[in-house]
Amino acid sequence: MTLHFLHRHVLEDHLAGFETRPNPNHVNVARRPVILSVLAHSGHEAAVAERLAELAGGSVRFCGPGEWLVAGPALLGEELADRLGEIPGASVCDQSDGKVLMAIGGPSARKILAKCVAADLHGDVFAEGQSANMLCCHVASNLARTGADLFEIIVPRSFAGSVFEELMEMGREYALTASFSED
Amino acid sequence: MASLITCPHCGTRPKEEFTIRGDAAPRRPGSADRDEAWYAYVYIRDNPKGRILEYWHHAGGCRRWLVVDRDNLTHEVFGVVDAADFQRTEAAE
Repeated sequence: MTLHFLHRHVLEDHLAGFETRPNPNHVNVARRPVILSVLAHSGHEAAVAERLAELAGGSVRFCGPGEWLVAGPALLGEELADRLGEIPGASVCDQSDGKVLMAIGGPSARKILAKCVAADLHGDVFAEGQSANMLCCHVASNLARTGADLFEIIVPRSFAGSVFEELMEMGREYALTASFSED
Repeated sequence: MASLITCPHCGTRPKEEFTIRGDAAPRRPGSADRDEAWYAYVYIRDNPKGRILEYWHHAGGCRRWLVVDRDNLTHEVFGVVDAADFQRTEAAE
């Protein structure tokens, strides 16, 4: 007997039946993102942060002192891990299968997120390129601002269904749609 | 009466993101200290009204232990520091 292991996204069932044509307010669920967690060894925090700032290919998310998440496209997977592995004083761990990345964008993105997170997301406080860990729909997640009206949420895989459902519920009045993105 | 805590790492956050451990004032006795000192450290707590130092864990954010200086009557927060920095300044005294 041969077994076929198929990659199945955890949100596959949640997204089935949704209209695929995106509205202005849209959630893009990355189908196979590469997410790595980076921890700096004691005393190396500043040096690692410096190296991460000049990292090419992945976007670096701040989690806490000496702790980051690096998200990148699936294509870069191993290369990104290698590049991060070269940083002295840092430990790298692949979290791609344990995390789900959702990008929410659109003119009402901030209004929708205002019902999900309790942090101030105004541009003066949470500027483009900034990221932090926060509770999103009661789940500890990492939120990053990747554009003026574009946010990326990284949640643990097992909570992704619940966060996704609540996010869509909050976005219903703004006609929020969702689909998988191919990268 | 929203309890907003300004985490030194994450910014201003609601109390829902935190877990409160308790008084930050007791100092851990040395391992050779008398049983009475250990008993006091483990079990005896004041129940003050007003300004107190407390350990708060930012479970929903940076997952760091913080020391919050606040008034438990008015809910006014006077200062928040990382517990590691708090211990460092305490040790320096």
